[in-house]
Amino acid sequence: MPASAALEKATPEQGVPAMEMVGIGKRFPGVLALENVSLTLEPGKVHALMGENGAGKSTLIKILAGVYQKDAGTIRIGGVEADLRSPRDALRQGIKVVFQEIALISEFTVAENIFLEQYPVNGAGSIDWKKIRREAAALFERIGFNIHPAAKVGDLPVSQQQMVEIARALAHEARIVVMDEPTSSLTPHEVALLFGVIRRLAALGIAVVYVSHKLDEIFEIADTVTVLRDGHHISTTPVREHTHDSLIQDMIGRRIDNLFPRSRGVARDEVVVKVEGLSTDKLKDVSFEARAGEVLGFFGLMGAGRTELAKAIVGYDPIRTGRITIAGSPLSPHTTQTGVALGIGLLSEDRKTEGLMLELPVLQNTSLASLDQFARAGFVDEPRERSAVQAFVDRFRIKTPGLGQQIKNLSGGNQQKVLLARWLMRGLKVIVVDEPTRGIDVGAKSEIFALIDELAAQGLAVIMMTSEMPELLGLSDRIAVMAEGRITTTMSRDEATQEKILNAAIA
Amino acid sequence: MPQSPSLSAAAGPKSLVELLRALVRRNEFALLLSLAVLIVFFSLTSGSFLTPRNITNVLGQASLAMVAGLGLGLLVIAGEIDVSIGSLAGAVGIPLVVIMNATGSLELGIAGALLLALCVGAINGFLAAYLGINSLIVTLGSLFVIRGGIYLYTGQKAIPDDVMLESFYQLGNGRLLGAVPYPALVALVLLVCFIYLMRHRPFGRKLYAVGGNPEVARLAGYDVKRVKFFAFVICSLLAGISGILLSSRLGSAVHVAGLGFEFQVVAAVVLGGVSLAGGIGSLFGVALGVLILSFLANGLGMLNLATEWQLVTTGLIIIAAVAFDELKRRAK
Amino acid sequence: MSDVTQPAGAGAMPSRLTDNSQIVLVLLLLALCIGISLAASQFYSVENVIAILRQCSLVLIVGAGMTMLLIAGEVDLSVGASLAFSGCVAMDVTNKTGSVFLGALAGILFGGVVGLFNGLVVTRLKVNSLIATIATMMILQGGVFLYTREAVQNKHQQPAFTEISTGYLGPIPLPVIIAAGVFVVAYIVLRFTTIGRYIYAVGANARAARLSGKQPESLKLIVFVVTGLLTGLAGLILASLMNTGQPTAGRGFELTVIAAVILGGTSLLGGRGTLLGTLLGVLILKVIDNGIIILRWDQNLQMVVPGVVIVLATYLDLLRRRADAR
Repeated sequence: MPASAALEKATPEQGVPAMEMVGIGKRFPGVLALENVSLTLEPGKVHALMGENGAGKSTLIKILAGVYQKDAGTIRIGGVEADLRSPRDALRQGIKVVFQEIALISEFTVAENIFLEQYPVNGAGSIDWKKIRREAAALFERIGFNIHPAAKVGDLPVSQQQMVEIARALAHEARIVVMDEPTSSLTPHEVALLFGVIRRLAALGIAVVYVSHKLDEIFEIADTVTVLRDGHHISTTPVREHTHDSLIQDMIGRRIDNLFPRSRGVARDEVVVKVEGLSTDKLKDVSFEARAGEVLGFFGLMGAGRTELAKAIVGYDPIRTGRITIAGSPLSPHTTQTGVALGIGLLSEDRKTEGLMLELPVLQNTSLASLDQFARAGFVDEPRERSAVQAFVDRFRIKTPGLGQQIKNLSGGNQQKVLLARWLMRGLKVIVVDEPTRGIDVGAKSEIFALIDELAAQGLAVIMMTSEMPELLGLSDRIAVMAEGRITTTMSRDEATQEKILNAAIA
Repeated sequence: MPQSPSLSAAAGPKSLVELLRALVRRNEFALLLSLAVLIVFFSLTSGSFLTPRNITNVLGQASLAMVAGLGLGLLVIAGEIDVSIGSLAGAVGIPLVVIMNATGSLELGIAGALLLALCVGAINGFLAAYLGINSLIVTLGSLFVIRGGIYLYTGQKAIPDDVMLESFYQLGNGRLLGAVPYPALVALVLLVCFIYLMRHRPFGRKLYAVGGNPEVARLAGYDVKRVKFFAFVICSLLAGISGILLSSRLGSAVHVAGLGFEFQVVAAVVLGGVSLAGGIGSLFGVALGVLILSFLANGLGMLNLATEWQLVTTGLIIIAAVAFDELKRRAK
Repeated sequence: MSDVTQPAGAGAMPSRLTDNSQIVLVLLLLALCIGISLAASQFYSVENVIAILRQCSLVLIVGAGMTMLLIAGEVDLSVGASLAFSGCVAMDVTNKTGSVFLGALAGILFGGVVGLFNGLVVTRLKVNSLIATIATMMILQGGVFLYTREAVQNKHQQPAFTEISTGYLGPIPLPVIIAAGVFVVAYIVLRFTTIGRYIYAVGANARAARLSGKQPESLKLIVFVVTGLLTGLAGLILASLMNTGQPTAGRGFELTVIAAVILGGTSLLGGRGTLLGTLLGVLILKVIDNGIIILRWDQNLQMVVPGVVIVLATYLDLLRRRADAR
């Protein structure tokens, strides 16, 4: 089979949809992810799939990719009912998916990753390495991506890994190509190249599903838009019948200002966090201040250094040079122990690996940072602990059958509330929140926003790292934009526009 | 960032310096260097170390751990572990010797031994890969069951080789052209085959992918469970071959044969640079790991140190090697 | 939309520390006891029960440490070798000083030092604990022969030394009392203290614990040392039982201990497990051992049966958790 077959040949069947998903339903512990969702893909068309985080886009795509099994509904491919029980089944049907999370083997070279699905072999069954290198190089040349096929994937920056991921979907014959937020870390030039590729795919009769929440991209590339919200199908409309506003209306389902309640007044003058000349492996000379009662938003594209900054200023990651001062005291020695004692804590972007103790119940998860407050001579005063945790569960409206419930059985939004409560029980002066609404459905999102607002109103300095533009603009008092480990600009809420921020982020 | 691959020219020969640098950065280079230093050191301290006789002896001794190490290395690369290989290596001697005694045929004995290994591997693989039980627990269980089975069958006595086949003796103790021990030859052939498998067959690459990132492997359409299942089977078969050689060297089926062997092999595999997390390492590295430990043991023996020093130094070297490896990774 | 899928059973779960997987173990233990006693009536004799408890004590003492270690997300395979070595040290120091107290102290401390060594290698040098403790096992197995070529006899025939294992407090043998003491203390620590909570936290998610201002490394180090000290204690009792320090003792002991702990429902992945489970695990394994003896079965079954039981119990636990997740 020739490499980059997808770019050369396809078999559109006239009049038959490339794929139909009808009445798809999917339930997870804690959430009803999809209910009665339908999607029809036409050959040669680009179909955009839109919706907020948690709307069900990724779940739908994973069902299409054979990663998840649907609980209800039918899937027909080329008019024939298909049972996609594993990724292998989907691949055999010619469904190629570019996942949002990089799905590459980091120990392998770029070229090998491209041919992971099917290694070209010679007559004796040995892998034809020369062919792999040659065809990978040819593929990249044709697409216009500038990546060395012999480089180890783990050594590449995220943006190039994303390009490898895209190229991989094109290496074999395909009927349907799905791209889940493929541009999250690409430069405008690379995005333009990608769009060229997508147009060529469509011209060959391949059905393309394009998932993004960047409106401009949708209007540029898509023919049809399907909007999902809270796991439900909202609309399927030709893109030319949409305006920015109508699309947002469909996605959010309510006016955007309702999402971002604001109860707090003006920030106080008191500087609680002062960072001067901070440098690490990834960060270069970062300086900023945050005051009590304000939300300072940090924006940046993938790899800009937001998470690195968050981890450095709470004492989790080591720093090379620089000074961090929390409420007048230096963060020294540079450990989380000092950080917590001084009153700074991090709500990590990665709930599962850095926040939750999945096997343990809500009680232990909530009281982790403040357990010493309930201790007498080393013994935990459990009744007191319970009542304190219960107070937070009530106040945050955390939905759980009891404090003994394992936290893995709670929904994402409730898990996030538990993690917020963990810090608030401790009594912080500064909270750093990194992508606070990742993987949380819209309803819970607005509750998290309200909690963040409430925190600032109580006089905490909130440092928020985010890649979500609405969140950034809706919550922040001031906005700092990062690119390549530096702060490129800082602006007030009133000066900020989407364009200004994006320009500063690409710089 | 060590390099900017997108900028370096795709075509054109790399400079010699660059090639050397890439070589030095490889884990196997450090192992090769350690092995060389070890050999130089012992040949200076002991006159009889660097003799053909001694070197071939060491190779013969090393081959048992080498054969089993290839299998375990492959399994660990696939992200699993098997601690029952010592028990299995001991157990295969029983069908081997019993069948030989009954039929007088070495071939039938070997077939019986390998059949046992195949069954054990299939059971381990089924329980771990298909039922999803942690492989350490599964194989810990097998370790007990197999060793207990040996004791039950033999009543804690060795089963002697009654037919005294010359071919059986030669298998473990003979030498090709009077020079190369047969076990070393077996190990070498298997080493070459399995290095080829890991580098040039799709199945070998699948083992790496499945161990490196099972989710990605699944998305690429691999049947992760199947790949792991076969890794268990291969590991057991190689442990079985190792056990056959062992039995021949001992000249009988000994009930305590292979006790603690699993730890020795795990140590060599890890020393060879295979990560217990899966997906990283090479069988060439494993072979070097085995050779380092074997030459170390032999050399220390020649220094007239108590044999127990071998255990102590081996332990220390393993800790040092893994700690160094970890340090290197963090520096990156 | 329901936010919580799994309210069932939550009310019946007073705390994770009495995990309901233990019901299976209790039933298994009961079934074993009933089965064996039907076949051999002497099973319930006082002597036999005490014999079983005595058998349990060594495994339980080390198992208490191992449980904490596994909950903290680490493992120690050197306990068997350490057991033998500390027994030799205890006997030897007793011989040299003439003081059983000093000997006992030396034995226990030796185990503690081994634990400290393991802990430092794992937490400071970042060596995977499985590998690190296999290496320590080799060092100790070699080291004990360098220390003593043959078994260390109780040269002065000090009765106090043998008393440690053969003595009674009322009708109950001393080792059982010691094991019970260790169990109770460890249970209280794990169940009611902040340290216990942090051990679970570190094993369940070390990064989260560190972000919350805890020091996973220090905590793990402590647990390694505790496990080492308990191994030293068990080594002392074993030496007393044999009235010699036997360098070859304890081979495979590490596997028995780990088997008992895992059987008790403690997860190899950390963050999950209970001492009560370990107690049940130890009891089950030893009742099986005892049953094999009093039923006059081939004693070599003592290796086979636990192997099957561990795998089976883990599988049942796996099924239960999968059902939970639904």
